[in-house]
Amino acid sequence: MPEPRDAKPHASTRRPAERDADLAGIDALIDRLVPALTAKLASTHLGELEVRDREWRIRLRRPPGAGWNGELRRAGDRATDRGPRGAAGHESHGHGRAGAPSDVHRLPVPGGSNGTGTVASPGATAGTGLASASSLAASAGHPSRPAHEDAGRRVATSPAVGVFRPGPRAAVGTRVREGDALGHVDVLGVPEEVPAPANGMVAELLVEGGTAVEYGQELVLVALSSPVEVGRP
Amino acid sequence: MFHRILIANRGEIALRILRACRTLGVEAVVAYSEADRESLPVQLADEAICIGPADAKRSYLSAPALISAAVLTGCDAVHPGYGFLSEDEGFAEVVRAHDLTFVGPPPEVLDRFASKEGTRRLLGAHGLPTIPGSDGMLRDDGHALDEADRIGYPVLIKPSAGGGGKGMRMVRTPRELESAIKVCRSEAKAAFGDDSLYLEKWLDDNRHVEVQVAVDRFGRGVHLGERDCSVQRRHQKILEEAPTPALGRAAREDLAERAVRAVVATGYENVGTLEFLVDREGNPYFIEINCRIQVEHPVTEMLTGVDLVALQLRIAAGEPLGLSQADIQLRGHAIEFRINAEDPAHDFRPGAGIVGQYHAPGGPGVRMDSHLYPGYEVPPFYDSLLGKLVVWGPDRETAIARSRAALDELLVEGLTTNIEIHKALLANPAFLEGHMTTNLLDRVGSGAFLAAAARA
Repeated sequence: MPEPRDAKPHASTRRPAERDADLAGIDALIDRLVPALTAKLASTHLGELEVRDREWRIRLRRPPGAGWNGELRRAGDRATDRGPRGAAGHESHGHGRAGAPSDVHRLPVPGGSNGTGTVASPGATAGTGLASASSLAASAGHPSRPAHEDAGRRVATSPAVGVFRPGPRAAVGTRVREGDALGHVDVLGVPEEVPAPANGMVAELLVEGGTAVEYGQELVLVALSSPVEVGRP
Repeated sequence: MFHRILIANRGEIALRILRACRTLGVEAVVAYSEADRESLPVQLADEAICIGPADAKRSYLSAPALISAAVLTGCDAVHPGYGFLSEDEGFAEVVRAHDLTFVGPPPEVLDRFASKEGTRRLLGAHGLPTIPGSDGMLRDDGHALDEADRIGYPVLIKPSAGGGGKGMRMVRTPRELESAIKVCRSEAKAAFGDDSLYLEKWLDDNRHVEVQVAVDRFGRGVHLGERDCSVQRRHQKILEEAPTPALGRAAREDLAERAVRAVVATGYENVGTLEFLVDREGNPYFIEINCRIQVEHPVTEMLTGVDLVALQLRIAAGEPLGLSQADIQLRGHAIEFRINAEDPAHDFRPGAGIVGQYHAPGGPGVRMDSHLYPGYEVPPFYDSLLGKLVVWGPDRETAIARSRAALDELLVEGLTTNIEIHKALLANPAFLEGHMTTNLLDRVGSGAFLAAAARA
């Protein structure tokens, strides 16, 4: 019995093709593209909606999503899709296992204006299905070094699993000294300080305040001070 | 049933719980340490969240990290697996305080069974035989001699405040008792500031037999037979099987029935295991209860067809057991081999490293529960368990024959494993005849075991 011609080949060639493309691009992505893309996404989509597992699987990919395969397991590039606990009246409607949408997750932001915050999405876990298969092949042996770091920049990472609360010193352009508190991560009501990783200037907030963060997640980018300061913003 | 579960563990048991979640249609979030970023359960999870560094104290043993992760990922339950915080009533309490369900006995039940001595008294009062001992602390030498006579030599002198073997002596005669008791008193005094001693019967050549039970919130309980865990190395189980070759059918059923009656009567809840020592005459003595899923639970699953982790989840979710004792049929024989990253040639030194080729055996009755994959780097921070090969056959001989074939087929490159010790066991007359005792491997020595197998 003839299969509908356009269904099966379509399904079976398209995914591997995309996967191959992902795999081929991984090395380049890891070193160059993804940090830039994730930073871009973090800054442009702050306060926006989360990309979902299901969207990934059904290839409703936005350009930044292309980096997930390669970057999935790197420190700080993974947020998680956070659940709706505490967000009154907002319940995830995904109930199945793989394939169930994890929905848009909002977290309460006590003191926030609209009562909800959203989860920064660069690196949200696509932990099932195809994404896993390719990350298995691609991820082994990658060092878990903050992706945003380079010769001139250091990243403050999350000391714990909790909700990020940037302090006054986390404002872009603020001069900080190593160890200064850039804010804290709220762990079940207990604050864990986020220290500045080096002397320098806050260059970018990688994660918006009120966002749920995991241990090791990149939070604040600090441009290192140099003996002769040039290129001040 | 739960909607979303946080798996607060790692390795093969995290994968096992994940699989149970999948079959129940429950979403699974795996909490992982930085050292487990590349692990299989993390990659297969519906979601994974990094909770801390490799150091277990700041990750898998950190209640705030785990609960914060559960809350932030929208979980409604936490499965602790085994080890780590699995029997910690404080953790279970905090989990509940955050409106989450602890998958295991409720905190007050964990608390009731937290003390080994208290549990022995409690379950002893409900019909379980316990190791005969002196009636309270030894008042003087005369009292000690009388009690030892009553219990029967050999006896073990134990300090009341003890732990770690300090102040403990086994004596075989009244004469030995008289001289040892002074030494024990001074050792106990020095080590614990308390020189009170008591006596316990010493069991030569004992076997370790444990009964699997499951009790729901409504006080309905079943047993799922027993497992024999007598093959041990320095008190670490390395091979488990069921049914136990140590007891006949009637004795096995009697033990299991007494066990489930005792735990139901004392308000136990969820799955659990009652451990017994069995002496040479086949007398069982209750020693402790494990209030969690155990490493060797697949042995029972192979015999009964019951998914114990799914059962654990259903009970924790408040569902009735849905099983009567008549529904539990124990079929055939199953053996579990713990595959560890250990070097038998070098005193079982634990190893770590990158897995090269990996092949899990198959065929009828063969199950491999393992989180390995080619290229996976086994981190050095946790236990050395790489997986469990579980083999079922309609009878013990068939199970052993299938086990030999499966062990030959199993391939784990890149790491030194204890596979050879399992092959040696399957060539050892004591094992083949079903006469293993908990001290045999240590007494003979693993080296001699391996050498004998090589000659055979």
